[in-house]
Amino acid sequence: MADIKAGHLVAKYLKEVEKIDTVFGISGGHIESMLDGFTEYSIRTIDVRHEQAAAMMAHAYSVYTGRPGVCFLTAGPGFTNGLTGIANAYMDNVPLVVLCGRHPLRDDLKGALQEMNQIDMVKPITKWAATCYDARRIPEYMAIAFRNAATGRPGPVFLELPPDILNITIPMESAPMPAKATRNYAVVPADEELTAAADIINNAKQPLFLGGTGVGFSSCSDCLGAFVEKTGIPFMLLNYGRGELPDTHPLSIWDCGNVGLLVTLGQADVIVAAGLRFNWLFMSGDVIPAAAKVVRIDIDPREIDRNRKADAGLVGDIGSVLGRLLPLVEKKDRGEWVRTLRAASYSFIDSELKARLMASDPIHPIRLVAKIQEVVGEDALYVVDGGDTSYFGQVGLFTKQKAGVIGSASGLLGCLGTGIPFGIAAKLARPDTPVVVLNGDGSFGFNSMEFDTMVRHNIPVVVVVNNDCAWGMIKHSQEMSIGGERLQCAELGTRRYDLMVEGLGGHGEFVTKDEEIVPALRRALASGKPACVNVMTDPTVTSPATPLFYQSLKME
Amino acid sequence: MKLSLLLFILYRKLKRAVRVNRDYRSHIGMVRLKILIKTANGKRGRLFIFDRGTLSTRTGGGHQSDAALVWSDASTGFRVMASGSDEESFRAAAEGKLRVEGMAYYIQWFTDGIKLVMK
Ligand SMILES: Cc1ncc(C[n+]2csc(CCOP(=O)(O)OP(=O)(O)O)c2C)c(N)n1
Ligand SMILES: [Mg+2]
Repeated sequence: MADIKAGHLVAKYLKEVEKIDTVFGISGGHIESMLDGFTEYSIRTIDVRHEQAAAMMAHAYSVYTGRPGVCFLTAGPGFTNGLTGIANAYMDNVPLVVLCGRHPLRDDLKGALQEMNQIDMVKPITKWAATCYDARRIPEYMAIAFRNAATGRPGPVFLELPPDILNITIPMESAPMPAKATRNYAVVPADEELTAAADIINNAKQPLFLGGTGVGFSSCSDCLGAFVEKTGIPFMLLNYGRGELPDTHPLSIWDCGNVGLLVTLGQADVIVAAGLRFNWLFMSGDVIPAAAKVVRIDIDPREIDRNRKADAGLVGDIGSVLGRLLPLVEKKDRGEWVRTLRAASYSFIDSELKARLMASDPIHPIRLVAKIQEVVGEDALYVVDGGDTSYFGQVGLFTKQKAGVIGSASGLLGCLGTGIPFGIAAKLARPDTPVVVLNGDGSFGFNSMEFDTMVRHNIPVVVVVNNDCAWGMIKHSQEMSIGGERLQCAELGTRRYDLMVEGLGGHGEFVTKDEEIVPALRRALASGKPACVNVMTDPTVTSPATPLFYQSLKME
Repeated sequence: MKLSLLLFILYRKLKRAVRVNRDYRSHIGMVRLKILIKTANGKRGRLFIFDRGTLSTRTGGGHQSDAALVWSDASTGFRVMASGSDEESFRAAAEGKLRVEGMAYYIQWFTDGIKLVMK
């Protein structure tokens, strides 16, 4: 009868049951036996420089692979450092499995090293949080954790594993592995709601389809493509739904940008929203015209009427709902509507479209973005992170890749610092695809030490810093509210982030002129190293996202 | 001519609202923005200058601004602006008769203010 170290059971479950190949974290004494398990079961570990980054990488790894991402944290400070990343996954509905050490059960209330009540702290930002007290039940707890993370509306889960169980040896057969990995079971919408939705869609004159993260996690590009092509509905895919169909699809309206989206929304008579929350970015539903009819599709029934009563509500996984809707909807050509909304939107973003084409001194951020697009192209993964920077990246970058342009600072937690960790996860998940992070100079600071991680693990991501020497979105917002002469904590300096990266063993480029952008990007990509292209841009430019943000907090 | 008159009346209405309309005062807050409405040839136009709770103006279409609403011709500008209809603006934009220079959001903010005053 073979024995097994209980810490190894964790790795055995990950590898053999869930087929997890990569985990993210930082070491610690409390979780040593689990770390040794990763060696035993040949699971790749990406050891980072701050636990926040580990949680963010695992989060993004799940976005790019469609399977729950896994991170490990040691007890106490490892845990607290990870909290921002866990909260971000919670707000973004991303399946993340957090495996965490804790002080020994034996030493409870004795002032043990890193003794704290982690479960109570993490509960409000997880779907499920528990401590395992019995080594034999580790596989069972792991299965519960994965099931909670992945099923229904996804989200982070937290499993606390004390040394009292990780560090003991037990007979292998006393902790049997479940026969099957976690799987999602179908949830299907009611027939009468399907008929009602099809009626609304068939009678629409100026419809618009909006897809969110639910579209991405449904991996429904075939059904979605068939649906939009049959109905002729123009669409925009947001959050982690972006790229489920290429941005270059003739019915995608990403070329109209966020401004075009708002302009179009105002004229739409039917809105089909799939796996998308009407949160502050949609002014909690207020941007949708009162007269418009709304069809909501969501895996979570509580979301259907949230912030706007739906005229038809379809509960289920987006792909399976669209598959059922497809035979009920009529084939339509809505070319005229698509041409009209495009032409109208272009008139509203005229200056932005021109700024992409013209050399500028100082460099306009949208011009920088246009040059990145020119050099790196549509077959790349882009990550955006920053305030105004996020806006320019989201509207100016286009790809054919699933989750091709993502950001988190534009999501619900609005968490700066996700760019570099997300970029690392992107490169690990799709090593043959170029990965470019567009970073604000402020946001760059949070996780730039992860360049060391990239160098150690040979992860050649190119990070382009849109360097306006400021927390730009905050600065421009303060200019509107308290006035430019009273800026507070809003400015940064001219810093050579490129030299910092060179010091860590990466490739650095410093750009101040328009004509230097393209050669610098090409050299960075060709270097085969993690690279930082530090581009000085116009500090006076702001984006439409900033006044929107300013208005959302205005109380009088 | 009709467009110039409309813009003048609009200015008077907004100027009065700055004094008497609490909601409008709150809408403009401490913002510093120059909004220009003009015809494409620059012959007609008016600049609205918001500066920390005050509003002033200049006539003509040749001023620097943070955002400009540019009409292909004065009569379209008059017709659409007098209608106050978002749909009309959308159609005009689609037909190439209306264009925004600078940030569309500032124009949206400006027209939201007009709607508050006309309410
Ligand atoms: C972790 C975190 N801290 C602070 C903020 C508040 N915040 C929102 S936007 C912003 C400025 C971002 O600056 P930068 O990354 O340089 O982008 P820019 O707006 O200059 O393009 C700040 C500080 C935040 N959203 N997240
Ligand atoms: Mg900045």
